[in-house]
This record gives sequence, structure tokens and C-alpha cells, in this order.
Amino acid sequence: MNAQTHRVAGHRLPRRDGVGKVTGKHVYAADFKLPGMLYGKILRSARAHALIKNIDVSRAAAIAGVRGIITAADIPQVRYGTAVRDTTVFATDRVLFMGHAVAAVAATSSEIAERAIEAIKVEYQDLPALYDPEEALTSDIRIHPDWETYKALPIISRKDNIAGQARIHVGDVETAFAKAHKIYEHRFTTSLQHPGYTEPRVATADWDANGIVTVWCNTQLPFDTQTTLAEILDLPAARVRVTVPGIGGGFGGKLRIGVEHFAALLARKTARPVKVMSTSEEELTAALPRQASIVLLKTAVDKEGHLLARSGRVIVDCGAYAGSGPGTAAIALQVMAGPYKTGALAFESIAVYTNKVHSGSFRAPAGPMANFAMESQIDMIAKDLGLDPLEMRLRNVVKEGDPGPSGETHTSVSIEECLRKAADAIGWHDRNPEPGRGKGIACSWWMTTGGSSGVYVKINPDGSATLVSGAVEIGTGAITGAAQVLAEELSLDLTDINVTGVDTQAAPFDYGAQGSRTTFSVGNACLAAAKELRRQMFELAAKQLEAPIENMKLQDKHVVAGNKSISIAELARISRLAGGGLIAHGTAISPAPPYDPARVKNHPLPVWNTPSYHAHAVDLSVDQATGKVTINRYVVAQDVGYAINPTYIEGQIEGGVAQGIGQALSEEIVYQDGRVMNANLTDYKMPTAMDVPEIESIIVECRSAAGPYGAKGVGEPPCIEPPAAIGNAIAAATGCWPNSLPMTAEKIAAAMRARHP
Amino acid sequence: MNRKILNIVVNGESHQLLIEPHWTLLQVLRNEIGMMGTKENCLEAECGVCTVLLDGRAVNSCILLAGQAEGCSITTIEGIGDPEHLHPLQEAFIECGAVQCGYCIPGMILTAKSFLDEHPGCRPSREEIREAIAGTLCRCTGYRKIIDAVETAADRIALSGAKQ
Repeated sequence: MNAQTHRVAGHRLPRRDGVGKVTGKHVYAADFKLPGMLYGKILRSARAHALIKNIDVSRAAAIAGVRGIITAADIPQVRYGTAVRDTTVFATDRVLFMGHAVAAVAATSSEIAERAIEAIKVEYQDLPALYDPEEALTSDIRIHPDWETYKALPIISRKDNIAGQARIHVGDVETAFAKAHKIYEHRFTTSLQHPGYTEPRVATADWDANGIVTVWCNTQLPFDTQTTLAEILDLPAARVRVTVPGIGGGFGGKLRIGVEHFAALLARKTARPVKVMSTSEEELTAALPRQASIVLLKTAVDKEGHLLARSGRVIVDCGAYAGSGPGTAAIALQVMAGPYKTGALAFESIAVYTNKVHSGSFRAPAGPMANFAMESQIDMIAKDLGLDPLEMRLRNVVKEGDPGPSGETHTSVSIEECLRKAADAIGWHDRNPEPGRGKGIACSWWMTTGGSSGVYVKINPDGSATLVSGAVEIGTGAITGAAQVLAEELSLDLTDINVTGVDTQAAPFDYGAQGSRTTFSVGNACLAAAKELRRQMFELAAKQLEAPIENMKLQDKHVVAGNKSISIAELARISRLAGGGLIAHGTAISPAPPYDPARVKNHPLPVWNTPSYHAHAVDLSVDQATGKVTINRYVVAQDVGYAINPTYIEGQIEGGVAQGIGQALSEEIVYQDGRVMNANLTDYKMPTAMDVPEIESIIVECRSAAGPYGAKGVGEPPCIEPPAAIGNAIAAATGCWPNSLPMTAEKIAAAMRARHP
Repeated sequence: MNRKILNIVVNGESHQLLIEPHWTLLQVLRNEIGMMGTKENCLEAECGVCTVLLDGRAVNSCILLAGQAEGCSITTIEGIGDPEHLHPLQEAFIECGAVQCGYCIPGMILTAKSFLDEHPGCRPSREEIREAIAGTLCRCTGYRKIIDAVETAADRIALSGAKQ
């Protein structure tokens, strides 16, 4: 349909960076080098919680080729962090987890740097450690004894080992529970999951003669990295320049600073360019994975299966620093409310410190953990009441104009359409086609994160346009999508749009490649820039053509006024001679919708912008002897508002589901006594081509008021529902309800044996 | 330092290099010859992004000592096509939307090329393609469009082979 109304938007056009990527010419941050560059390595703690009694670097410093060593004693004492400023570059007096950075070395080769790391002698004195988040809630052990002295966002509520605590409270839960037909109470757990990008976190830093440090890295948020680096280096932001050559995947794992600070500090110490790249082991022990969680959920229903009231508690294990934990835990509350009529709600989130790796904002933070709990429980209730799980959902889903959990109004609602389409496609009428085979369904909603975007668009003398955005293309095709919007508005072809890399010194601000917002927000900024360029071109054309601006239009790369016309290229050339060139600054901001603040307490994201709705359905078989799951078919019906490029939307859906299948069935960073037991890609099991079925995408388009041509956010939602949909299908196939991720063959086999001993 | 001479052909060009005995083929390709299309990640032969062709067969260059490639012919992603003359696999990966972040793509394309070269004229099933590429991890795509691309390219290569 879009392909008929638009020339460029809505079409399956190839991405702008495709040729570079298939020929090996696309430069990633990992490929970046400078003459005379040194290689940095990080010494990481081998203890989970210990006092540092002494660090002796003398043997390391004596190794030929070692150019600099730094520890906490050599750098500004700064605490940084998004929600809570609790993080330091290196462990100071204590190490807080195995993997905590203790020192860094720069040497003429990475082998020498590695040897030097091994030669640094650290004396520790072990302290009692906390690994269990529930124990951390009541223990007298403090992971951050000085937590009260840390700065934090004013909205964040903290105490002892709790890094953040939020609430959503709607209506009278107690009365509703008292009047309920039945009450159900369940506990679910989810595991620590690595984002799994194939390019490790990497940065190269160099200081120039003016004291400006340039960092070439693969961050998803160049501007956030710039300000965080400025704090760490104790410099004004303008003296930190962050550029992103290319990035090999992010998925939220590259939002916050990774190795950029080590590179910049080592480069300052040695007065040489320094490159630091994470190893696989560091990725799995010291990156920013998705938090493990515990979800307790209590739900009251009437006889017909209507949700009357729900109460719940989400405990998110942040690890040693708050990281994204407080926000992630809080977002879980909206996910648990779900695309359902709210009734009465009393939800609480707790983000808690433990002596494990600090964590981040992996794609749809909190989405899969909270959805797994909520949507598993819906199926459990349906089974107990003798209802079809699809029917149970359809009785409770929100309709246009219904209030959401924060008191906002649901608009452009498509959840019923998504559920029906996914169910029809999977053949819902026949849920148990054969013994050991079952079908499951799950649905959710998700936000399109706001934040502002700016773009510069310049018209070149050949009539092409250059798009300068502060948003990084992390692989999703988001910038190609925004370029399609720009080309559409300027009557150009997509191949006429040149896209630059991001450089914080030159590009306008962007809130970053996160939160399903890039195409949405950069696309809106492109609409604004195109409007301004049309004004500039029409004014110039009015003089050239001696025609009135009224009724002028852009058509086929020309400004057309009645029977007169002039090409965009000609206007650009004229403007270069006489007007400084055709250039526009377009901006976009998506304000948060109105909501009821009385419902939401201590929540950094109290209301969702432009939500999307989606449903997943799966058909799978479970080996009755081993518990091994084979997915036969997997269907997603997702409302994207308007499909700017259906090919890359399918790509987001297929890739997101693959990650969700990994989280559902195999992925877990396994800790034992504070140590990661599977810090390599053989034992940390991400899905291979043999593990992912042919994911079928049904694109639903229920247009939003805020997005370009009605688009909604696309990127995060696909990884939300897989654990719940797969769990529900396993239950349909085996009669056993998994309540813990990942749902490994071992766990399923054990549950089947317990049921039929 | 006890460097040794390595004679190696990369994308048809002969190189004589002095190398450290512990250097891997990946290090030599990236650091000495400048073939940056060969990607670096796990360095433990677990992810497949460093895959190159050694005398036509796919190998993980991250765990192969460069010395073991003495006298061999190596093909990297730069050697199978360029922006003006794309290999059918490169063309199909773009057309089918199989490229997202792209970091695994050179290794994926070379793995697929090795597989197709080993089965000349054959149109492999999707299951066969799935198995052939299973050693290379892709975190972006969910593999479906990669399989589409290999299938499309295999059809075109088989067809052009049949015409000749």
C-alpha cells in the first residue's frame, strides 16, 4: 500500500551501506589504526569482593615495550553513571566483582601488554560477597558502603544495596483481591544474557596539540560517550571528540562507555595513540549484559477470566554497579501491565547490587523478563479456568482510548489485530497436532523512546543530498530508513542521499541509536530539514523563474511552478555562488504524552511514547526423552505504524526473535561462587543457523500520530515475546510450565519426569 | 626476535613477508597485508567472522598459524568482487536484505562460497545451506535472509554454469 502512495518510502530498497559491507570496504571501529599506535590491555580482578591491599606494577613496567601503566591512583577520582553515579574507571580500594578493572597497560604490541598484565601483582583481602539478589535485600553486607554520598537522578529512590525502586499503583488492589473469583501467584526467574554483537567493544584514542582527545569507537551513543568521557577525564565536553567509523552490532550493549575511557587515559599517559579491544572473555565477564531477574506476580480474575487486579514485584540483579538497572527494573512495570485493561495494579521494581558483572540495556530492557512472567501466567490462568489462551487475551486487551497503566490514553491500538493474525497464521484451532507438539502465543506492547534528534542536510551541486546525523547506523537500516524519508520529501532517489559517519565535533546532537527510536526520530528531523530546504529552494526558484512561491512543488528533482521548472542541482549551484549553499538544520522531539503522576512513583520513564503492539505464535515439538525443543514454525504480527522499508523491518523481526529464542532456550552467563563458568562462545550458546527456524513476519500498519508517515518504533519489540510464547508452547506440548529461563532441555526433561515419574 | 620468511598468495598477489612464528593468518592478513575485510572477534574459532579461503577451502584464520599457510593461496572478501564487479553472492546478500551490521558478512559470504564451490552446479536445499553456514554466528539477522541470499546466488551461479 505504501509503495503506491510514496515513491521511495515504503519500498524495499537496498541499504546505503550494503556494498561496503559485502566487499569488506566498510571500516569498523575494530579496523581503525593510527601510526605508532600502542595496544592497551586491562587487568581484571580475580576476586569477587575483596580489599586491595597493594598493587605492584614494577615487574610489568620493566618489560621491554611497555609504555605506560595506570591504576586508580593515577587518574581523576570521578564517579559516573546514568541513574546513579556509583561507577569508577578502576576499582579503588575494593574490587566488587570478578572482572572488575584494576589496572591498564599500554605496550607496543598486544602480546607485550598481555604479558605485562600478568606481571602486575595485586594483594587482596577477601570480603564476604553477595551473589543472590534476594539475599542482598536483607544482608548486612554493603556492596557500596558509601552509597549515600553518591549523586543520582533525583527521581531514583535508593537504600543500602537497593540502587533504585519504583512503583506503579492504580486503583484499590486489596478490595479487588477480596472480591475475586480466583487468585493466582507465581514466581519466575530469568538469566543474565550477553548482547552477542560480533564486533567486540573497541576504541582508539589520540590527543592532539590543542589538548583535544579524539576517540574512534563503536558506541551506540556518541554524545553520551562524549559527556561521560569528559567527566572521567575532567575536561570540558568540547575537548572530547567521539567518532564512530562503523559498528558491528550493539543491541543496547554498546550504549554506555565500554573501553573508550581506558584508551583515552592510556593515550594521555603515554602521549601516543592507544587502541583497546575487549576479548571474548572480557565480553562475557565484564561487559553490559541483560540483567537476571526474579518476578513475583499475583493476579485476581473473575469467572470469565477478566483481569481484576494484579500485584507484583520485579527484582533486577544490577551486579556491582547500578548501570541501567534502576530504569530497566522500572520499565518492567509497564511491561507487566501489558496491553491489557489495567484494573487495579500494585507493582514494585527493585534494582539491587550484587558482586557480579554490572549490567546494561540489552534490546527491550526488561521486556522479555516481565513479559515471560506475565504471559506465562495468563496461560496458566486460562488453563485453570478452562479458557482458550487466545480468548482469555482477547477478553482483556485494551481498545482505542482505554487508559494505560500511567493514566495515559492508548491510541492507534492494534493488539487484537496482531493477536488474531498471529493465531490464524500458526493454525491456532489445532493447538496439539500430535503428542509432544504444542503451540503457544504471547503478546506485548512497547514504547518508541523519545529524545531529540538533529540533522543537517546539504544539497550538493550535482543535485544529491548529504545527510549528517548524530545517530549511529548500528546495522538495523535505521539511517537508510531516515534517508528514504528525506529522499521522498526532496523528490530524490535513495541513491541520491549520501550518509556520513558520526563525529560529535561536526554532527548535530542526537539522543542515540537506542530505544526503537532512530528511524522514527531521525526520520522526523529529516521531514523538518526537507521542509526548510523546500523553503530555501522555492525562494531561490521564485527569483530564477520569476514565478510565485505559491503552488510551487518539488517533482522529479526539480522545482516546478506551472509550466516552468529548474533542477535542484541548478539551484544548488546558484546558491553556492550567491547564497552560501543550500543547507538546513532539521530537528525533532517527541514529547511524552499526558499521564497521571499519582500512579507512578520514582520511575525514570513514567509514561511511554507512541507505543507499538505485537503478538508472537510458535509451533514446537519437545523430545519426550531428552526435553530438547525443536521449533517448527514461528510467526510474528507486529504493528510498525508505517513500514518505511519492509525488508529491514523483517530483518529486525527475524533477528530479534533469534535473540529471544536464545534467551528462551540456551543463553545464560552462568555464575558459580562469583565466577563466570562459560566465558567463551562455545559454552555461551547463541543460536546458530541450525537453531533458528524460518521466522514469518506479518507487518501490521496502524499509523501513529507522531512518527514519519505514521511509523512506530520497530527494533526492540521482536525480542520481547519469544520466551513467553515458547514457554506457553512447551506447556501445551508437555503439560509442564517452565518458570525459569533459559528453558534448557535438562530443565524440561526434569519437569516432565517430575510430572510422570 | 626470530622472524621467518612466509611466501603466500593473497587474492592472486604474491607476498614475501618476515613474520613472527606465533602470528596467525588473521594477524598477517589484517596487520601486514591490510586486508581489513577479514574480521576479528573471538580469536578462538568459535564465531567464524575471520573465515577466509585457503586453497579454496573455508578456514578460521584466527587460529591458523600464518606459517601453516606457506605456499598457499588465500582468498579474502576483497578477492571475490569489488563494488563495480560484485560476486553473485555479494549481489544476493544486498538484494535479499541479508546485511545488517555486516560484521559477520565477509566470513559468511566466504563460507557460502566454499560450500557452493565444493558442490558445483548444484542447487542446495535450505537445510543444506543452514548446515553449511552454521559455523558462523550472526546476531542481527536470524539467518533467514542470509539463507535466501545463498539460495539466490546458488541458483544464479548454477544457471550461468549451465549456459556456458
